[in-house]
Order: sequence, then structure tokens, then C-alpha cells
Amino acid sequence: MLQKREKVLFLRTFRGRTLRIVREHYLRPSVPCNSPLCPQPAACRNDGKLLTMDVTHYVIPDWKVVQDYLEILEFPELKGIIFMQTACQAVQHQRGWRQYNKLRSLLKDARRDCILFANEFQQHCYLLRERGESMEKWQTRSIYNAAVWYYHHCQDRMPIVMVTEDEEAIQQYGSETEGVFVISFKGILNVNKHRAQMEAFVRLQGASSKDSDLVSDILIHGMKARNRSIHGDVVVVELLPKDEWKGRTAALCENDNEDKASGESSSEPMPTGRVVGILQKNWRDYVVTFPAKEEVQSQGKNAQKILVTPWDYRIPKIRISTQQAEALQDFRVVVRIDSWESTSVYPNGHFVRVLGRIRDLEGEIATILVENSISVVPFSEAQMCEMPVNTPENPWKVSPEEERERKDLRRTHLVFSIDPKGCEDVDDTLSVRTLNNGNLELGVHIADVTHFVAPNSYIDIEARTRATTYYLADRRYDMLPSILSADLCSLLGGVDRYAVSVMWELDKITYEIKKVWYGRTIIRSAYQLFYEAAQELLDGNVSIIEDIPEFKDLDEKSRQAKLEELVWAIGKLTDIARHIRAKRDRCGALELEGVEIHVQLDEKKNIHDLISKQPLEVHEMVAECMILANHWVAKKIWESFPHQALLRQHPPPHQEFFLELRECAKAKGFSIDTRSNKTLADSLGNAHDPSDPVVNRLLRSMATQAMSNALYVSTGSGAEAEFYHYGLALDKYTHFTSPIRRYSDIVVHRLLMAAISKDKKMEIEENLFSNKDLEELCRHINNRNRAAQHSQKQSTELFQCMYFKDRDPETEERCISDGVIYSIRTNGVLVFIPRFGIKGAAYLKNKDGLVLSCGPDSRSEWKPGSLQRFQNKITSATTGGDSLTFHLFDHVTVRISVQTSRCHSDTIRLEIISNKPYMIPNTELSHQSPLLLKSELVKEVTKSVEEAQLAQDVKVNTIQEEYQEYCQTKGRSLYMLLEEIRDLALLDVSNDHGT
Amino acid sequence: MAGLDLLSDQGYRVDGRRAGELRKIQARMGVFAQADGSAYIEQGNTKALAVVYGPHEIRGSRARALPDRALVNCQYSSATFSTGERKRRPHGDRKSCEMGLQLRQTFEAAILTQLHPRSQIDIYVQVLQADGGTYAACVNAATLAVLDAGIPMRDFVCACSAGFVDGTALADLSHVEEAAGGPQLALALLPASGQIALLEMDARLHEDHLERVLEAAARAARDVHTLLDHVVRQHVCEASLLLGD
Repeated sequence: MLQKREKVLFLRTFRGRTLRIVREHYLRPSVPCNSPLCPQPAACRNDGKLLTMDVTHYVIPDWKVVQDYLEILEFPELKGIIFMQTACQAVQHQRGWRQYNKLRSLLKDARRDCILFANEFQQHCYLLRERGESMEKWQTRSIYNAAVWYYHHCQDRMPIVMVTEDEEAIQQYGSETEGVFVISFKGILNVNKHRAQMEAFVRLQGASSKDSDLVSDILIHGMKARNRSIHGDVVVVELLPKDEWKGRTAALCENDNEDKASGESSSEPMPTGRVVGILQKNWRDYVVTFPAKEEVQSQGKNAQKILVTPWDYRIPKIRISTQQAEALQDFRVVVRIDSWESTSVYPNGHFVRVLGRIRDLEGEIATILVENSISVVPFSEAQMCEMPVNTPENPWKVSPEEERERKDLRRTHLVFSIDPKGCEDVDDTLSVRTLNNGNLELGVHIADVTHFVAPNSYIDIEARTRATTYYLADRRYDMLPSILSADLCSLLGGVDRYAVSVMWELDKITYEIKKVWYGRTIIRSAYQLFYEAAQELLDGNVSIIEDIPEFKDLDEKSRQAKLEELVWAIGKLTDIARHIRAKRDRCGALELEGVEIHVQLDEKKNIHDLISKQPLEVHEMVAECMILANHWVAKKIWESFPHQALLRQHPPPHQEFFLELRECAKAKGFSIDTRSNKTLADSLGNAHDPSDPVVNRLLRSMATQAMSNALYVSTGSGAEAEFYHYGLALDKYTHFTSPIRRYSDIVVHRLLMAAISKDKKMEIEENLFSNKDLEELCRHINNRNRAAQHSQKQSTELFQCMYFKDRDPETEERCISDGVIYSIRTNGVLVFIPRFGIKGAAYLKNKDGLVLSCGPDSRSEWKPGSLQRFQNKITSATTGGDSLTFHLFDHVTVRISVQTSRCHSDTIRLEIISNKPYMIPNTELSHQSPLLLKSELVKEVTKSVEEAQLAQDVKVNTIQEEYQEYCQTKGRSLYMLLEEIRDLALLDVSNDHGT
Repeated sequence: MAGLDLLSDQGYRVDGRRAGELRKIQARMGVFAQADGSAYIEQGNTKALAVVYGPHEIRGSRARALPDRALVNCQYSSATFSTGERKRRPHGDRKSCEMGLQLRQTFEAAILTQLHPRSQIDIYVQVLQADGGTYAACVNAATLAVLDAGIPMRDFVCACSAGFVDGTALADLSHVEEAAGGPQLALALLPASGQIALLEMDARLHEDHLERVLEAAARAARDVHTLLDHVVRQHVCEASLLLGD
């Protein structure tokens, strides 16, 4: 009746020898299943305690879950748990007697509704461990197999849920057997910024249960259901029954604390749940503001405890106890949350430090930094000690050893850099030359930061923590100390520098890549050009050489020869870049601007007009060369280290996110094909309204928003196909070309160096990150990049608000502008203002319930009435019978004002004052002709002597530079200007505050 | 790593048997043609080979001859490869000698030695793989070999071991269970009469428990008997079938 199997184990003896032990293993046809649903209780000999009947499903925890979360399984509320013998043995072997005895007593306890199923002695459940199968995999497989058997044993009458943490198992077994679910339920709480009080969403992490209803986010409605979790926490959610599901609200809403009547305008119901547990708290420092004096009074006698309002709308008010409330009234303050009692509406916290006065520029910038968890303390002494010295008395030199090891390109190659004007940290240079066999050699030379930054040195650790250089609207925070970023690593003109180079040999006619070489080099950049100069040279305009310092001290003849050489190089590079770009376009690369940068770039175009800049071809040329270098390095490191290379991935977008884009385009008569990046690029290119260039820009920006963000990934954690870069249409991509300002590039440099020494069969000196560490690092860098983007955006908004705040919206001509409607909501429209690059909401119905209507002179006024929303238009009908309709892409005139807020950041507020496009009095059709607009603006600027106005232009100008991908530095003079503006702004703010 | 528990709360032993269950037994008689009798037995992973010569004249010094009965000469050895670690000396150590003596004692009690005075019966047993219960396997193999040789016996001699863990008697110990160091009892039984041919126990056991352990061992021995009986009958059937042809 018993079946015999043999198990072979290997044990290690005390003397360290391996011992082969063969053990018998007997299987039997029936072991007690202890389920009341058992069809043959006699055969099963169910004598011990039985599971209860009144559960909806049985739970089978995986071995890892039993090991790690036994405390949770011990809750008496949990019923119908089946512990598999395999899991129990895993506990016994790996967690010791203590935990095993706990499990045993749990199983013995008659009150607990849990049983042990001896699956390893059951002839159908037992699985032989396969050759090479890891213990963990085998255990999970056994448990799953036993779960399936158990399900069938109970005649499919009771669904079984297997709980596991193993993502692979979920993938593999998730949909194998009907009735047996393999799940893991976790999500990150995301509080809706605009309705902090009411709505929050939970995005599921790795949810792949078979319920197809759960693909979307889960709505958490109200503070009570949120159960004291805070934005960013990892939470466990219980789904509510379907009849309690609610819809999300589509109406626009101001950031007021008053709850507006919601519900009447909610869309179709979506999965709704409530938070039942917080797995991981994500509390950080929060910036808060103390309530103003009057409010304190109203809070009554209990003045010791004060409710402070966080800067971030998504965070609830925090209760802190302090005596200094009055002194701290006008300051932005950092607090930490300590606890949140289950009986309390608000969390408790304590005061940490003061950041600065409210509305003071420094204070607000510090607020933005803290809110994004960016810490920018100066580099410490220990870190600076690791830095090489370069002083006039003791200049830094190329060392002879390095000279021997590196390829010397100083005499053989014409190397030059093209960067924005006044750039300090030059991390990429280019070269091109003709080889003896007639082929071309294209070279990209990147600053060799890893030579100076040793792995795990203090400076390396600091750079890893910062992960990137942070660019705010008026300043930047470097990742590396300036001795490296602006001096030794910066590939300045006329000095010897270490570099890491990628050089391709190209066919002279087809430009096909024949050979590629990677390695460390020494270079001396001959020219440090700026974009405009390079463009002029490319266009054959030689007069620009007066601006190039390298040509100054030369006599006429050699100058002519050198100039010709340089012009040839730039021309050739542009030619090559055009070729590569065309090749990539054929594969479906999207317009780079559309991908990387949002609408602000369009704004830049305007401002570039102002200072007579054009989007230059050299920009594209440099970018293309960098993309090529990144692409080839990505290929190289992936081939050498398929499991631990750092790549940049841009996943293809979800089609459903394109819905809005398609609808919008349809309203304008275009069809957008979003099936692949190629079709998308093509159809976006075709969607061009000759009378209104803004339409195309808006469509592009909507397409950008629909896409997912590009991310750094470790190659060990996914399949090869996942590393595809959707936007650039490349199979592999990484970041290699800016090691001075991105830590990911430093990692890639190290990987590349290791790959080179691996090719030479040399020992790999640097210990590379393992896949797991690299994954962790990628997550950190992605996170920091996001913080950098947010802080940049917030600081831009801050400056915008500061600019508009000083103006009286009623009288100032500049505050009235032309806007385009790009989205329709139930009580208003979203408007994009091309001139300032602002996007915002404009209401058609105000708080008193009045709707907007326009008189015959197209001036708008508020009148009682009602709104009606359609697919692509919105109509407001007044009780007087007038009606006003706004379509998508309609041009309207808006008035820009600033809504100040004491506790939060100020916001731009838009108000539609006319349904006609805005006409600037002294020029016609300004929005259609950038040329006219340009002259108009130039005129305006020259006329104006108002300091603040100049400030605005300069400011916007600097913002623009930030968005430019390969720009790093601002000129010194610009900074001085900003300093002046800051003083000015400070004055105004305090004046305002006083009144 | 916590140690194994020999008997789980659900009543399973390490290898999946319940307390009273035997390991799988497989046996064959007449494995060698040259010898007078031979047999091979597997009890779980314990494998033993027994060969019987005789009864024949006394070899060596005649002085050893017994006037009234046959001399039973038992030799035990275990193969160098029988255990997990290879042994240096296959036979002649103290343990082998002791085992030989025990076997001799067992079979002197079972074989009708008085029928063959002044002659000798040789029983050689070799263990090919040791996984607990070697004595029992040797006895069972030797019984079959003696039967195969056609030497008259009072009865089968069936042996089995038993142990005692957590208040429960375990039958037919495996190597893991033996190595755990609990009390261990070896019993050779003449099943028909219920007479005990040999009983040996090492380690201390409370007197109160002895009865139960003995009972478990005896029941196991009877189970072994049914199995051996079946083997013998099958062997005889096959032999007579051959003769008939």
C-alpha cells in the first residue's frame, strides 16, 4: 500500500567532507485532509480537528510567508489556513525550534482554525526535486501542487488562495488552475492632490491575480477608509463589495479645504476599498506653516497643542505641541510625524527646524528642497581630501603611468566640444577624421570621472546619495565638487584631460559602422565652441570666429587652415548625424523634444526668438552623437554583463492612456495612430494645423504625458525585450555621456571599464554591483531624478507666481494673454498659455454657482445659469437665454493672476475674460506669427526699463536653459542679475505682507 | 537547523511511515547456484546477502566436532561500501564478531541441530547496504538461506527491531532513528510458537515501557513472517514448476 521513493541528500560532516546520504521516503494514497468537504472521510482518517465550513476560501501560505509572517497567521481572525508540511519543514530548518514550536502549538490549538496537510507523504502531492532545481523553487512548486490537489480533493467546492511573495510563482502559477488563486496584494497609496480630503488611489504592486477587475487603481474614499495612512505609504487594501463602489470626480476644484458637493458629478464606479494595514511607512520631513494668530485664538485654551498645515496638500494637518507657536508664525518650519493614534483625526509630530520666512525666496526654495527630500549640504572635509589638487602653484598634470596606459589622442585627433555659452562642466567632446583607408573615424570622448572617483570612496558615496545634479530655476546643486565638475573632469579647451572614448570606424560613403573601439584616452580639446558659433560655422558664416577665443592669437594663414579643418569636421559630423537620425526615424523614433521635454520647450522657442536663438541643427547633431555613444555602450555592457548592467528603459505606453489624445485630435479632424512608435511619430507629424501651430505642440505634449517615464533598470531583473527604448526606438540604451552630473553614468563608466578588461582577459579590479544591489541603486536614482524634476518644476512655478504677483491683473497688460483650451471638465476648462508655457484651469462656474457668459462685445461676465458638458465642447447657458460654447483648441483671452496661499505654494489662476483670441494692440495675429511676436517682444523689452520686467525675461530665459538637455551651466553675469532680482523680490514681498 | 523530530504530531515518522509500519521488504531465495542455500533480502535500504553451506563434515580441527549435534558457524561481514563513509576493514572487527555470535545463538535455537551430529553448518552473511536494522535483516536473510539449503528448522526465525520515541513504540528502525540514540531493541522470534530466539537491547528503558516495545517488535516480526512465508511459497512454486517441466 505504501510507495517507496528514495531521497538523496548531501550532508557536510564535522570534518568538512561531503557525505552522501540516501533516505527512504514513503508515500501513501491518502493522508488526513481534515476538511469537512472530504468525500471519503473514512479513507482519509480525519480524526483530529477539522476546518470549519463557514469560510469563503482556504488559505495556503507559501513557505516564505509562513517563515516571515507567522505572527500574522496567528491572528484568531484568520480562519481556514492550511499549512503544508513542506512549509512547516522549511520553518523548522531555517527558523529554528522557537518558531517551529510556535507553529506546532498553533496547529495543536483546537480553537485555531488551521490544519497541517502532510503533502510530502501523499503520493499525488509529492514532487521529486528536479536536478538543478533550487530548494526554494521546489518548495513553492510542491506547495502549489498540493494546493491544486487539495482543491480537487474537496471536489472543487472551496476556492483556495495561495499566498506567496514570489513574483515568479505568481507569474507561473497565477492562471494555471481554475479556483486556485496565487496572489500577493500590495500597493502604494497615492493621494489625489486636488481632493486631499476625499480621494486617494492605491496603485497595485505586482497584482496579477486573476480578477480582471483589479487592473485599475483602487479608490480609497474619505479619510476614514484611508485609515491613517499617508501619501506614499505601502498599504494593504480590502476591496469593498461592488455596490459600495464609487466613481472619481471629474469636476475641477479649487484647493480649498471646504468640501464641495461631490457625488453628483462622479464618473462611473471604480474599485473602491479601504486600507486595512500599512506595510511600510514612508514618513519624511514635512514643511508646515503655523496657523495665523487669529486662528490660534479660535482654537481655544489648549494652545500648547497646535494644528499645523503641511505645505503639501496631500498630507493631513499635524498636531504638534510647542510653546513657540507665536514666534514661528511667519516661518516655514520642518516637522516630523511621530505617531498617529487610532483615536485621533490628526497625527502627532514634533518641530525640527526653521527654514525661512514665508514668501521669502530662500525660504520657499528650501521648502521645495525639503519637500523633495533633497539635502544639499556642502561637501565635507573628508570628501574634499580625496580630491586631486589643482592650484596655480601646484598644477595638476597628466601622470606618466596614465600616459602609458591610455591611448594618446592629443596630437592625432582634432577634438572639440559644443556646449551652451558659458558652460563650465563640459563632459562631452567630439572628433572626426579620415583614416588612411579612406574611412571616417567618429569619436565621442566623455570626461573620465571614474578615474577621480574611486568606488566606495567618500565622494563616491556622497555622489551616489545625490544621484544627480539638481537644477532649480535660478541655481544648481552639484553632484560632484566643483574641482571635478568645473575643472579636472571638465574637458576644457587647450588643456590635457583624461577621457573615456568611443570611436567608430564608418564607411566613407554609406556611413555604416564597421568597427567600434572603447577605451580610456588622453585628449586635449582644441576648441570649446558654443552652439551658435558652431551653427554659424556650419552655415559658412566665418565672421563668427571673432567670438572664438582659440582663433584670436593666430596669424592669418594658420587661422585660415585651422578654420577650414574645423568647418570640415563640423560639416562631416552633421552629415553623419543626419544619417544616423534618419536610420532611427525609420525605426519609429519619436520627435525627441516631444519625448524628453514638455511644453515648456515650446515656450523656450518663443524666448529664444527674443534673444534671436533658433533651434539649431548643431543641437540635434550633438544630441545624436551622444545617443549613438549611449546606444553602443549599452550594447557593450549588456553583452559583457547580461545580468548586472545598468540600462535605461522606456517602456511602451498603455494604449488606454492615448484615448484622450485621440479624442482631442479627432475634434480637430486628425487621426492619431498609436499602435506603435512609428505610426505615432508619423501621425503626429501629419497632425498639423496650418492656421494654428499650437495644436500640434499640444498634441505632442499630450502624447508625451500619455507615455510612461524612462527608467534606469538592471538587466538582471528582466527579459531582454523589456529594455527597449520606445521614444528613441533603440533596442538598448543607457546614459553614458554625462558622468559629471549623473551618477548612473558613473556606474555605466565602471561597467564599461570592467567590460574592456574582461575582453582583455584581465582581472576585473572593481567589484561591480550585483543585480540586487544594482536594482536597489536604480530605484534610488529613478527616485532622485523624479525629485529633481519635481523641484525644478516647483521652482519654476514659484518664479512664475512671484512674477505675476507683483502685477495688478486688472490693469497690467502683460497679465492678459492668449490661451488654448486643451481639455474639458464638468465645471471648467484646462487652458494652455503658449506665451508663458503655463497650463491651468479656468472655471466656467464660480463658487456662487454663477456661470460665465459673454456679451456681444465678447467681454465675459458672471451670470446665473447652468453648464452642460459634451465630448469636446462645453456650453454655459444663462438663465437669460444666452449661451456660450467652448470647443477644444479654441483660443480665448485669459487673465493671469496669482492666488496666494499662506500655508501652501502660490498658484497661478486663470480667468477667461473673452472668448475671442487675444489681440495685442500694436500687432495683429501675434499668436500665429512667431516673427511678429518676436519683434513685438523685442520692442517691448527695449522700451521697458522696469527692472522686474527684465528680471522676468532673464528668469524665463534661465528656466529655458534648464530644460535643454545638454546645457549645464549658467553664466556668471546671469547669476549676478538674479541676485539683484532676489533682493528686489524680497522687498516687494515684505511690503505686500505689511499691508 | 533544528533537529528532526522522529515522530511528528500527526504520527508520521521521518520517512513517512506510521509508528507500527515496516519498511518495504523484498526477498529472493536461491541467488547462488554453488552454495547449498542462499538468499537476498532488502528491508528498506538495508540489503543483506546470506549463503549457507552444509551440513558437512567439520573443517579444520576435528576437536571442535560436537558429538550430539551439528556445529553452527556464523560469519558476518559488511561491505566497505555499505555505509555513507567507506569503511577500512570489511570484517574481523569487534562488531562483526559480536554480530556473528548473535546470529549463531539465534540459529542454534532454530535449527534442529541434533539431526546432524558431528557435522557443521556454515552461515555467511554480508550486508551490502546498511540503513538501520542490520541484525534483523541478517537473521531474515539467513532464515531464507537455511530454508533454501533444506536444513530442518523448528520454525522460521523472524527478526525485527523496535524503538521508543515520545511514548510511542516504533517498529523497524531506520538508520536515522537508530542514530538518534534512543533505546533500541532487537528481537528474533519463532512466530509459530511465539518463542524468543534472541532478545537484545541497548540503552536504558523503563520497565513499564518494555512490554509495549516488545509487543511492537513481536508484531513486526510476525508481519515479517507473513512476508517471508509468502516468499518461500512463491519460491517453492517456481521450483516445482521447473521440476514439473
